Amino acid sequence: MRRFRRVAVVAMVAALTATGLAACGDGDDSGDANVLKLWHYESANSAMGIAWDRAIEIFKEEHEGVEVRFERKAFEQIQQNAGMIINSSEGPDIMEYNKGNATSGLLSSQGLLTDLTEEATKRGWDTALSPSLQTTARYDNGVMGSGNWYGVPNYGEYVMVYYNKELFAEHGVRVPTTLAEFTSAMDTFVAKGVTPLGMAGAEYPAGQLFYQLALSRADRSFVNDYQLYANPVDFKADPVRYGAETFAEWVGKGYLAKDSASLKAEDMGTAFISGKTPMIVSGSWWYGRFKSEITFDWDSFLFPGNTLHAGSSGNLWVVPETSKAKNLAYDFIDITLRPEIQALIGNNGGVPVSGDPATISDAKDRRLIENFNAISSQDGLAFYPDWPVPGYYDVLVSGFQSLINQSKTPDQVLDAIAKPYQDGVAEIKRD
Amino acid sequence: MAVTLATPPRVTRRPADRHRRGVGRWIVLALVGAAALVMLVPFAFMLLNAFKSPGDYSTNGPLSWPTEFYTTGLRTYWEQVDFPVKLWNSMVISGSVAVLAVLVSLLSAYALGIGRVRGRLWIIGLFLLANMLPQEALIYPLYHFAKEVGLYNTRLAVIIIFTVIQAAFGTYLLASVLGTFPRTLLEAAALDGAGRWRILWRVVLPNIRPTISVLLVFFFIWTWNEFLIPLVMLIDNQTQTVPVALASLQGDRLMDAPTTNAGSLLSLLPAILFFLVFQRTLARGITAGADK
Amino acid sequence: MAVPDSVAASRPTTTSPKTPAATTNRRRPDAAYWLYLLPGALLFLLVIGGPLVYTGYLSLTRWSGVGEPSFIGLENYRTLLTDDVFWTSFRNTVAMIVAMVVVPTLVGLVLAAVLFDTIGRRFRPRTAAALRAAFYLPQVLPVVVAGIVWGWILRPDGALNGLLDAIGLGALSHDWLGDPGTALPVVMAVMIWVQIGYPVVVFMAALERVNPELYEAAEIDGAGWWRRFRAITLAQIRPETFVVGLTCTIAAMKVFGPIYALTRGGPENATNVPSYFAYFTFFKRLNVGYGSAISMVLTLIIVVVAVLFIRAQNRAERRDGAL
Repeated sequence: MRRFRRVAVVAMVAALTATGLAACGDGDDSGDANVLKLWHYESANSAMGIAWDRAIEIFKEEHEGVEVRFERKAFEQIQQNAGMIINSSEGPDIMEYNKGNATSGLLSSQGLLTDLTEEATKRGWDTALSPSLQTTARYDNGVMGSGNWYGVPNYGEYVMVYYNKELFAEHGVRVPTTLAEFTSAMDTFVAKGVTPLGMAGAEYPAGQLFYQLALSRADRSFVNDYQLYANPVDFKADPVRYGAETFAEWVGKGYLAKDSASLKAEDMGTAFISGKTPMIVSGSWWYGRFKSEITFDWDSFLFPGNTLHAGSSGNLWVVPETSKAKNLAYDFIDITLRPEIQALIGNNGGVPVSGDPATISDAKDRRLIENFNAISSQDGLAFYPDWPVPGYYDVLVSGFQSLINQSKTPDQVLDAIAKPYQDGVAEIKRD
Repeated sequence: MAVTLATPPRVTRRPADRHRRGVGRWIVLALVGAAALVMLVPFAFMLLNAFKSPGDYSTNGPLSWPTEFYTTGLRTYWEQVDFPVKLWNSMVISGSVAVLAVLVSLLSAYALGIGRVRGRLWIIGLFLLANMLPQEALIYPLYHFAKEVGLYNTRLAVIIIFTVIQAAFGTYLLASVLGTFPRTLLEAAALDGAGRWRILWRVVLPNIRPTISVLLVFFFIWTWNEFLIPLVMLIDNQTQTVPVALASLQGDRLMDAPTTNAGSLLSLLPAILFFLVFQRTLARGITAGADK
Repeated sequence: MAVPDSVAASRPTTTSPKTPAATTNRRRPDAAYWLYLLPGALLFLLVIGGPLVYTGYLSLTRWSGVGEPSFIGLENYRTLLTDDVFWTSFRNTVAMIVAMVVVPTLVGLVLAAVLFDTIGRRFRPRTAAALRAAFYLPQVLPVVVAGIVWGWILRPDGALNGLLDAIGLGALSHDWLGDPGTALPVVMAVMIWVQIGYPVVVFMAALERVNPELYEAAEIDGAGWWRRFRAITLAQIRPETFVVGLTCTIAAMKVFGPIYALTRGGPENATNVPSYFAYFTFFKRLNVGYGSAISMVLTLIIVVVAVLFIRAQNRAERRDGAL
């Protein structure tokens, strides 16, 4: 029996060491409303990071005695575990979360997010944000575009064409205004042995270029069908077919490099920054970084000839249902929509959602914002190609890698991307 | 008094080939050395890019020499993720897991390898399940269990989980090794009146010390580098580990390469130090055969 | 030095009762040993047994990870049987086994023997230790970081192609990870790089258990390196060889991190593996039920492989008796 006691003691000691170790530092919060736990995942030097830091300062000034516990999070962690985090007592009182049906939409349909409709009307958020920006803020049973408010965006984003002015001048290329001019500009570069368009097949850029091309033949009703499931989408007909076929044609003509299938967006961006690429079709999220890192003369123009552009509101501020400081959270959201904070976003290379572009000092920054406002006021934001169903991002990546590698025909790729879309939509409709 | 495998006194007669000025051994050394250098190439890249400014990196790519010695990346990372806290968490978790898992493995393996309890094969197989299950399959259940018992977002939850996962491997390795343990030693000790408990600590343990050190190193490093389960279980900056912090540098769409490299370097150092410290333990046997 | 003893002789000849009593009975030496299994068993039930049953239940449901799972019976498994990606991912597992088990174990055996027997004994032991550290270093590297670094090296404008250009083999430069034809072999090469240190360290530790007298005696008898390697090294470290073989096989079948960091299963699923496919289904497609089904099938296959392995090991042990 003595022997048994010894074993038991060892086990006990082991257990105690572990608990002892765990006991220190894992404090739990008895959250009365003088603490605001705030999480977001923007880097500190991005436009949003800078503006929100200031918003936190203002919040503190206006709420004497409230402690703000801010934590910068890993994007991957929030992406992967938002449901788990919000479903527990350990989550934040307010956090940044992705817009779209598979993210905010899903959590709202499960009752994990606070309904903000009343606050939005009371505090005037519903008038501050244009109707096309409100699309991503409102969800009806998890589908965006109508219903109650579950999140509030305070910046915008859209896809455009960045170009290297010096390379344009060197090869005598002018800024194109139509799709035809765009292709002839690229022909000029190809003739000189320069690959005109930067590309990254392993991540989102390929899918976004395809979507831009499809949108050049589309109207709002297509976007409603594709993104909001209004009617079934025929992948074998235009505009989707046109997008895939033109993409393949562009690969064939050498507009984009055949060895870009494994490149990541970061590679595409650094190639543009180092002046190797005349143009890239990508989003406003690059803007601030280009501004600080590029040494040559560059600018941007809207994708030529399109009335619809990939783009949307930025991520949302959401208030988890478990939040212990909801009123403080509403106050914070309100601060982020103030002109001062919006101007900070604009002056740091971001796209504010409300306010006057005239208050922005730099001409290039102003153009970025005016272009966005133009799209947004014409209801030209078409969201992103991977939004409709969960996991579609990787389906598109895989499909367009095949087009870049020329290992499949556009027809085969259309089949490959149609099925997951239809299955996913059926799944959503079933719930 | 420790009983060790009977090693006869060191032979004074030196093996003949120690005097042979063989060219063969140099060729072998050169070959193995070259292979080792190839292994280290990616580390050189990491060093090269950890001290390069983001602009320099964008302009000249990952292969150029840095134009300046840029330490902002390192500093940014240190401050941004509150590195000391993360380091402490990683140390606590990896250290506890290494010790606890070795302990649990030793106890179980003693029963299986020396005790040869009935059905031991099946028991080893069952324990090994812990190692066989793909981690992503465990995440949802573990999250719910942890939440039920109030351990969600505590380091203890991660310690318990990895103790089990690592001990599965340790039990299997030690049971295999102890299965070939010389019975004569055990019998001699039993004749001297030592009980099982004493035999474990006084006879068995000293003889498998090299393997135990290897296990300690492995468990520490494996746990140190674990990503998925800590990412799910530890959501607070106060509880997170180094690799999870490293991931926080990779935003939605942007990633500053030098900072990532600097962060990688920082997260790698403690594990390397740990390994180097234990090299000594590991190297004991090599020295035994050497001529001083 | 053979110990005159065999496993069979040490087996208790008396039949023990079905339920092991926790008493120390001199007649049934194994009964008391059950106590030593207690901590491990309790922890196991808590962390592995329970969740496994739970995952089994989830695999019979439709669930997005939040809200309530809805029971759908075997539908997930039916879908799985006709899922091309799932079968592709299993084909790739075979490649992973070659890269993570076969090559590292064989190379590791030779390397460990060379480091221990040749370099350790003919040069300073420091040299052997330093070389071992170099081989082990990739194991210390967090997988995410390894993915980033290798990503750079293998990029179309990366170090490998730069090197090929520099030595006049520019024609060979290639989009290594972007071409479905080369992506898998390249990932395999990276996996060999990652894995090699593990068998080296285990085998070198194992060789330290071996009585140096054996080598000395063999050398005096005029046995060459290869004879010594086959007759002594391989025979002496057989338990570790089995352990390394099995654990690497398990690791290869559930490999996740390197794939996640290097290729995310791309291009065109050329490097997809079951574990990544399951992860993707869990967290990107938000289909926890289906992900659980994938995990269950994967687990089952791993269990079968492991059982075969342990059986083989057991037979080998019996054949040898105990060394």
